[in-house]
Amino acid sequence: MVTDIIETRGLTRSYGEICALKPLDLLVPEGEWLSVMGHSGSGKSTLLNLLGGLDRPSGGSLQLGGEDLMTLSEDGLARFRREFVGIIFQQHHLVPYLTALENVMMAQYFHSVPDEAEACMALERVGLGKRLKNRPGELSGGEQQRVCIARAIINSPKLLLGDEPTGNLDHQNTGMVMELLKELRSEQQFTIILVTHNREVADWGDRIICLDDGALVREERAGR
Amino acid sequence: MHRWRWLIHIVLKSLAYRQGRTMLLLGVLAMAASLVTSLGIVSSAMGLRVAEEVRKYGANLVVLPAAARMEVGSGGLDFGTIAEPAYLSQEELLRVAGREGVTDCSLHLRGHLRSGGLEIPAEGVDFAVIRRLYPWWQLQGGWPDADEAVIGIDLAARLKLKAGDLIRASGTAGAGEFRVAGVVSTGGEEDKLLFIPLAKMQEALGVGSSVSQARLLAQTGGVTLEQRAARLQSLLSGSVVREVRQVARTSEGLLKKVQLLMALVTAVVLIAAASSVASTMSMTVLERGKEIGLLKAMGATRTGVLLLFCGEAVALGLIGGGVGYLLGSGIARFVMKTVFMVSAGIDLRFAGLSCAVSLCLALLGSAGPMMSVFRLDPVRSLRGE
Repeated sequence: MVTDIIETRGLTRSYGEICALKPLDLLVPEGEWLSVMGHSGSGKSTLLNLLGGLDRPSGGSLQLGGEDLMTLSEDGLARFRREFVGIIFQQHHLVPYLTALENVMMAQYFHSVPDEAEACMALERVGLGKRLKNRPGELSGGEQQRVCIARAIINSPKLLLGDEPTGNLDHQNTGMVMELLKELRSEQQFTIILVTHNREVADWGDRIICLDDGALVREERAGR
Repeated sequence: MHRWRWLIHIVLKSLAYRQGRTMLLLGVLAMAASLVTSLGIVSSAMGLRVAEEVRKYGANLVVLPAAARMEVGSGGLDFGTIAEPAYLSQEELLRVAGREGVTDCSLHLRGHLRSGGLEIPAEGVDFAVIRRLYPWWQLQGGWPDADEAVIGIDLAARLKLKAGDLIRASGTAGAGEFRVAGVVSTGGEEDKLLFIPLAKMQEALGVGSSVSQARLLAQTGGVTLEQRAARLQSLLSGSVVREVRQVARTSEGLLKKVQLLMALVTAVVLIAAASSVASTMSMTVLERGKEIGLLKAMGATRTGVLLLFCGEAVALGLIGGGVGYLLGSGIARFVMKTVFMVSAGIDLRFAGLSCAVSLCLALLGSAGPMMSVFRLDPVRSLRGE
C-alpha cells in the first residue's frame, strides 16, 4: 500500500496583507512525480519553500514523512532539510570557489561526513566524471545543473524538490536533465515535486497541479 | 575525509578565492599585531635598559635603623630630629638582601675617630662594593687594599694629608694605622669623611658585626621601588627603608609615562583595526548572502554556518598574528638598535601575544557580521534580498 509522504490541510502563507498561498489541501503519495504549474506570482515557489522546510507556514498543517513541520525548531528544520530533502535550483547556486566534486561533498559535510569516492560516483552518474575538478565558472549551464542534481541526491533524500530546474537551460539540455531525473527516480525511488511554468517539462511528471493567485485551480494527470 | 580537515580545507579555499579582501584583512591584522609586538618588545627592553642606566647612579634604597632618628616636637612646635647611635645587623641585612632580589648591597658604619687630637668623622665600608656602586667617585691615587684608607678631599686638606701618607685613628674600642691610598672628591658629604675597611671600623667602635646604614641597589621588575622598599622594611626588624628618590622617581616616572603613551597608541590602533575588520567582514557577509542561504538550504544549522565564518576569522587571526610577530620583531630590533644602541633578541613570549591580539581582533571584528549570518533567512538570501 502506498502511503502519503506529504499531507497538507489548509496550508497557507501570508506576507503581511498579501496571501501568497491560500488554504491548500494536498496529498502526495510516496514515489510520485508531481509537477506544479502556474504563472509568476501564483504561489509555486512559496509552496516549494514550505515543503522544503525553508519557510514556515502562516496556518494549516504540514506533515512530511510523518513529521509535523509546524512544530520543528530552526535547528529541527535544518536537520529535516539535510536528512529528508534535496533541492535543485533554477540558478544552480553552486559555491563558486569549490570544484564540482567539492560542491557535492559540501552537502555530505552538512549531512554526515564528506566521502570523496561517493561524491565521484554521484558526479559520474550524472555524466560529469571528467569535470570533477572544474569550478562552476568553468562549466556550462547544463553541466552546472547536473552538479546541482548530484548534490541534491548525494544524501539519498526521500523528497527531491526542483524550482524551475530547467528554466535557464536550452531545449537539448532540458531534455537531458529531465531524462536524468527520470532515471534517478526509478533507481532511488524518491518523490519529486517540480515547479515549472513549462508544460512540456510538467508533462514528465505523474500528476500536474496548477496554482493561480495562490490557490489550487486545476489538477490533472500528466500527458507523457 | 575527516570533518575538521574538510572544514579547514573549505576555509582556506574560501580565503584564497577572495584574495584581495583576504590580503586587506591580513594586512590590518598583521599591522595591529606587529605594533603590539614591537611596542611590547621595546617597552620590555626599555625597562631593562632604564634599570641598567639607573644602576649607574648607584644605590636606589637606603636602610637605616628605626631607633637612630626621632622626631621631636609638641603642640605644633617642631624641634627637629635627634639621633642616637643605633645599628643594623650585618648578617640579617645580607640574608634578606640575598633573598629579595637586591643586586648590590653596600654596608656602612659611621662614627667618629680621633686622630692627632682631633675628632674626625669616619665611615667603614667595603671598597669593592663602593667601586661597583659609586663609579663616579674620583680618586687621586688608587683604590685601597687591606689596612688602607680613602680620605675625602676637604678632610685631607684639613689634616694636610695626601695619597701615600699614614694616618693613625682610634675609636672607643680600638685603634689602627692606615695608609691613605687615595683622596676622593664627589662634591658631597664624602669629601669630609675618612673611609676605612668596614671590619676595622667595627673593631675600632667595638660594635661587633653591626652597621649603621646599608645602601641597596634593588631590582624593580614588576613592582615599584616604593613597594620594594615596603617589602624590605617588613622583613628587616627595627629598620626604615627609604628610596633614593631623586633617581628612582625620575626613572620610574619617565618609564611609566612612556609605557602609558605606548599603551594609548596601541589601544587607538587596535580600535581602528577592529573597526576595519568589522566593516570588511560585513561587506563579505553581504556579498556571500546567497552562499549562506544555500548552505542553510542544504541543511546547515546556524551554528554550522557560523563555524565556517569563525574558521575564516581564526585562520586570518593566526596568520595575521604570525606575520605581525615577524614584522614587529623586525621593527623592534631596528628601534632598539637605532634608539637604544642595543640589539634585541628573539622573544617568543610575544609570538603568543601577537597571535592572541590578532585572533581577538579578527573574532571581535567578525562578531557583528556573524550575528547577521545567524539571522539570515535562507529563502530571502537565495533570492538575493
